[in-house]
Amino acid sequence: MDSLITAAASALAAGDPLRALNCVALREDAPALALRGIAMAQLGDLTQARHLLKRAARAFGPKQAVAHARCVLAQAEIAFVSRDLGWPVKALAAAQAALEQNGDAINAIHACHLQARRSLLLGQLDEAERVLRAVEPALLPPIRRAAHEMILAGIAMQRLRTAPARAALVRAQAAADLSRIPALKAEVATAAERLDAPVARHIAGGKERLIALADVEDLLASGTLVVDACRRVVRRGKVVVPLASRPVLFALARALAEAWPNDVCRTDLLRAAFQAKRVDESHRARLRVEMGRLRQLLRPLADVLATSRGFVLQPRQASAVNVLAWPVEEEYGAVLAFLADGEAWSSSALALALGISQRTVQRSLDTLAAEGKVQWFGRARARRWTTATVPGFTTIMLLPTLLSDG
Amino acid sequence: MNPTSPADIVCEFGPFPGNAKVHGVTYDGEVVWWASDNKLNALDPASGEIVRFLEVPAHSGTAYDGKHLYQISEGRIQKINPETGDILTTIPAPTADDNTGLAWGEGSLWIGQRDGRKIHQLDPQTGAILRTIPSNRVVTGVTWVDGDLWHGTWEDDSELRRIDPHSGEVLESLAMPPGIGVSGLESDGKDRFFCGGGSAGKLRVVRRPKRRTHAGGGA
Repeated sequence: MDSLITAAASALAAGDPLRALNCVALREDAPALALRGIAMAQLGDLTQARHLLKRAARAFGPKQAVAHARCVLAQAEIAFVSRDLGWPVKALAAAQAALEQNGDAINAIHACHLQARRSLLLGQLDEAERVLRAVEPALLPPIRRAAHEMILAGIAMQRLRTAPARAALVRAQAAADLSRIPALKAEVATAAERLDAPVARHIAGGKERLIALADVEDLLASGTLVVDACRRVVRRGKVVVPLASRPVLFALARALAEAWPNDVCRTDLLRAAFQAKRVDESHRARLRVEMGRLRQLLRPLADVLATSRGFVLQPRQASAVNVLAWPVEEEYGAVLAFLADGEAWSSSALALALGISQRTVQRSLDTLAAEGKVQWFGRARARRWTTATVPGFTTIMLLPTLLSDG
Repeated sequence: MNPTSPADIVCEFGPFPGNAKVHGVTYDGEVVWWASDNKLNALDPASGEIVRFLEVPAHSGTAYDGKHLYQISEGRIQKINPETGDILTTIPAPTADDNTGLAWGEGSLWIGQRDGRKIHQLDPQTGAILRTIPSNRVVTGVTWVDGDLWHGTWEDDSELRRIDPHSGEVLESLAMPPGIGVSGLESDGKDRFFCGGGSAGKLRVVRRPKRRTHAGGGA
């Protein structure tokens, strides 16, 4: 390999894409195309990067198996950064096999990491963990090690397990420091900050406060009866009653929980559930019916008792009733509530679950996406939506070791 | 004798948004519990809605002993308190990865092995294998009803089969329509079977045929 290519590769490995571009900017040979593609990806121009890497892969051809496989890895990574999770994963598996056969262990591990990240984005946490188990992080160079720990942290955060997430981020920080790449350090630091940032509003006994992920974890483990407006469920520990598709029942449960241990009068309940300004007899009849339904669904967790002026919640096996809500009350709370389960949803499934039209769901999703609160992948009917809570890819993770040893 | 008749599918629930797969299925007299990777879902068979779920690992067969739920997950059988979701005890399953259906009957746990093509009777305290019934087909769900042992099978086509609990001989079978498979299996103790549909994400209700009289019956 000529000296300019070597210089460009080492610049990329050190996280300096501009210096790399200076070396190979005008060259059209396969290694130069690949390096240009990666440099453009690190600089955030994914469209140009995708184009260059495709040309590089073609120029290398199947005979230069390792170089070809590395280009496939780069394309996969860019696809996943763009949330194009429908990208052909078989090509990734083939590239991983080629790298393993040809002794490029580090890039083979990179392929593993890509698969794990894809699974994490899809909410397939078990699968992500299974893929990572094949890698021994202690033996990795700093950049790969940081990437590995970041994925572990992402899985733990999705599982609402703060302590392992924090431990993984501490290890990621140490690895990032060793790498001496400023952008990587910054990325790990941002993820660590998110762990302590407020994620929900906790309402108990009429008082409100913002709480972090660790507090949410403690609250859910405490055996308290929680009316969770983020996911639109009522839960105690591991027992969960989903009410996302029943907005009226959820509104009633929340009103009762916010007032607990006091009761709520009928008029206030009607206001909460039906936004009724003036209350008439038909509303009262409907309230009785809905309360009957709520009582039935909540039976494993709580009783709903009638009082002289309204209703009161009486938890079973729980000492208190609390409410958990978004830090800022969301107009599109119901849509977010479904996505908060970590699964990848189609808009038609959301419409079905919410009992509203697909057009309305689509409008909500578009608005939420514009605010960065949800993300999508896939095209047309295959498009899926998830919350934007998973630590994403940033460009610094892109192929820092792609060509550095070859 | 091995009379085969078409399965009478009475109704079909799902697919359930956000839940991709239906693994094990059981019934506690009120709700149908079914496993979907990280949840045990409780479905009201009258309305077809998921009325609650437990956040427990749930990757394979499911059973109910009248008080507790049993759930296979990756080589272990977890005994679960359905009121709290707490895992009370855990016993090892016969193999690490070839466990499918689970049933409670005659004071024992019965576990189907898919590729092993057999059903083991287990000591529910220790997980020790008490007895093994061979099958000539892949075993999916397992259930006991009225002293009869039924299991699902799912290869190219899928059936519900009543077998002799001693010899494994197939006494009767209900053929599912082409392309429809049975993962989990449970009876409601009366005239219905609840059948998991695997990755189709569906739960189906199949009518249980009236008990056929055996030659020399009543034995």
